[in-house]
Amino acid sequence: MAEPISGMLSLGAERLALIGKHAQTLMKGYLQGEIDPDAFSESTRRKLIDARVLYHPEDSFGLKLRQPVTQLIAALVTDEARRQIHADVAEKLETIRVRVESYREARRRGDYVKADLQLQVIHETVYDLTGQFEEAIHSLWHRLNSNFGFVSSLSDKIRENSRAQEQIKRLLDGISLLNFNEMIELAEGNPVLRKVLVTRLQNHLDRHLASLLEVQKRLVELMGRFREQQARGLLVSQMASFLRQHPSFVVGDYAYRSQVPKLVNCAAPTSVTAAVALDRRADSPEIVGLVHQLYKELALKTAKSTASANDDVLTTTASAPEVEARQQQLKADAEQYFLAVLENKAGDSAIDYLVTQELEWSPEVWLFQILAEFAGLPQQQQRMFVLERSEYEEQWFNQVRVIDDVTLRLGRL
Amino acid sequence: MNPLLQHGPLLEKLLAGQFICAVTEPEHYQRLQQEALREQLDEYLQPLNRRVAQNDDTSVFFLAYRHIDQDAREHMKQQLQVVMASLLPLLEWLTYVQEALGHDSVLSPGDIVKLQELILKTEDHPSLQQRLQALAKDKFFNSQADSVDAQAKQIAKRLVEHGYLQQPHKERLFFTVTGKMDYLLELVRFIKDEENIPLEESPQQEDLL
Repeated sequence: MAEPISGMLSLGAERLALIGKHAQTLMKGYLQGEIDPDAFSESTRRKLIDARVLYHPEDSFGLKLRQPVTQLIAALVTDEARRQIHADVAEKLETIRVRVESYREARRRGDYVKADLQLQVIHETVYDLTGQFEEAIHSLWHRLNSNFGFVSSLSDKIRENSRAQEQIKRLLDGISLLNFNEMIELAEGNPVLRKVLVTRLQNHLDRHLASLLEVQKRLVELMGRFREQQARGLLVSQMASFLRQHPSFVVGDYAYRSQVPKLVNCAAPTSVTAAVALDRRADSPEIVGLVHQLYKELALKTAKSTASANDDVLTTTASAPEVEARQQQLKADAEQYFLAVLENKAGDSAIDYLVTQELEWSPEVWLFQILAEFAGLPQQQQRMFVLERSEYEEQWFNQVRVIDDVTLRLGRL
Repeated sequence: MNPLLQHGPLLEKLLAGQFICAVTEPEHYQRLQQEALREQLDEYLQPLNRRVAQNDDTSVFFLAYRHIDQDAREHMKQQLQVVMASLLPLLEWLTYVQEALGHDSVLSPGDIVKLQELILKTEDHPSLQQRLQALAKDKFFNSQADSVDAQAKQIAKRLVEHGYLQQPHKERLFFTVTGKMDYLLELVRFIKDEENIPLEESPQQEDLL
């Protein structure tokens, strides 16, 4: 008994090692479909063929991986495009029946070694059976969760989805072959068999069944979405090509039908507007606040735009000597006003000066220049003058003050 | 207290002609799912000759006329003409995006369009460039620009204006497809059925050839 097992151990280990040693080349073969025979030495090639890892098809030049090896790799790397699902339950059930009989017979004869061996085989078959479902369910979930990402086109996804649904159907058929009454009979009177055939199998299969039904439900949902996407795609591309071919196509007068189609009935937009109303005293403080705010913003904006207008003046002065000359003249006139104030020592208002000197500047520009000139003086000189603004409030509800004149006087030296 | 008090902003949006979907207005869309609220709104809108309507998928809500009078008919007719004039460029834009991005389905609400990705893919393919150029020049998109970048941006801008796309961040060039796209395609399906437009049935024919 020990002899064949140890022989198998060393042979199996040797062959697994052989696969491991050539993993790179074998993996390339898996991906490319075949392997150049020259990739291996003569003896390695023979070893791989003897180990039933590779075979050499008559009609092709290259070596190919045998199907169980391909399946092993597909399962290891969860390659859903190649992974296969074994839904065959009948054969395993048959194995279990046969082994149970031979187990019972061996026990009757008192051959406990053989009975133990048969029991081990039964264990393995049950494991295989549940493992087979587990593997299938893993593969199905994986495909579902990746949204069938291993194929690229929508129609391929639809095909893969229906293939997966077929597989589920076969798996469910397989499960329905399992008759627990039969299992109970088979295990009759033997607690070990009962544990394996009834308890374990049932526990596992119940779980698998629930899982399979859930996958099935999700696959059907996903299929619905795929079909919808497909329909949308078709609608868009075909309608576009129809419209290209029929540029003068006009739809019916849906709006004037007695029954206007639901989608066409889309109302015109209306805007909800409101204006300031002063007829409620309670609102006044808020409105006054708003107006104040508004004027502040306006004043700020004017200041900004004047500033930028000044910038414009500056830039144009550079390019237009005429304007520059006028600017210089304005500045000189303003300086004359300052000198006049110094000489007279009495306060002449700026506008008065403008009028008496018959200067050509507009009052606004003139006042601006005086203010600018004053602001431009060094602090020490600024203190020599007192600038008085004559100003008024523009409107009662804001705080904008308009300067209509300034008077420069000599301050204390 | 008036039960509609808290729905002022929603009413305003509806009255302004906006389509309310899960992308543009998730909260309002959520509320509009309640039939009781729709009834209250309908009652409020009655003097304005409006009611809350929805598409077949109930993926968008909008206002429809309650009673169809002459003015309503005239408006609907004009509206339909506008949609029909923009239909081909819109459908072509959808197929162009699908091909450029290598998607296996037409854009649907909630999908995100990264404009930069679209521009890069288009710049790589002369045939896509030509298609974009032809599309951009269409009256509906109305772009005079020569560069792929400017054309793509103009198209996106127009689609946002018409409510088919939403730009969540002003300064970032990614767009979300809104529920109005569903509405448009439902309208297309309706027109196809209504006008008996013969669309070939076998989808894979071109692929097979």
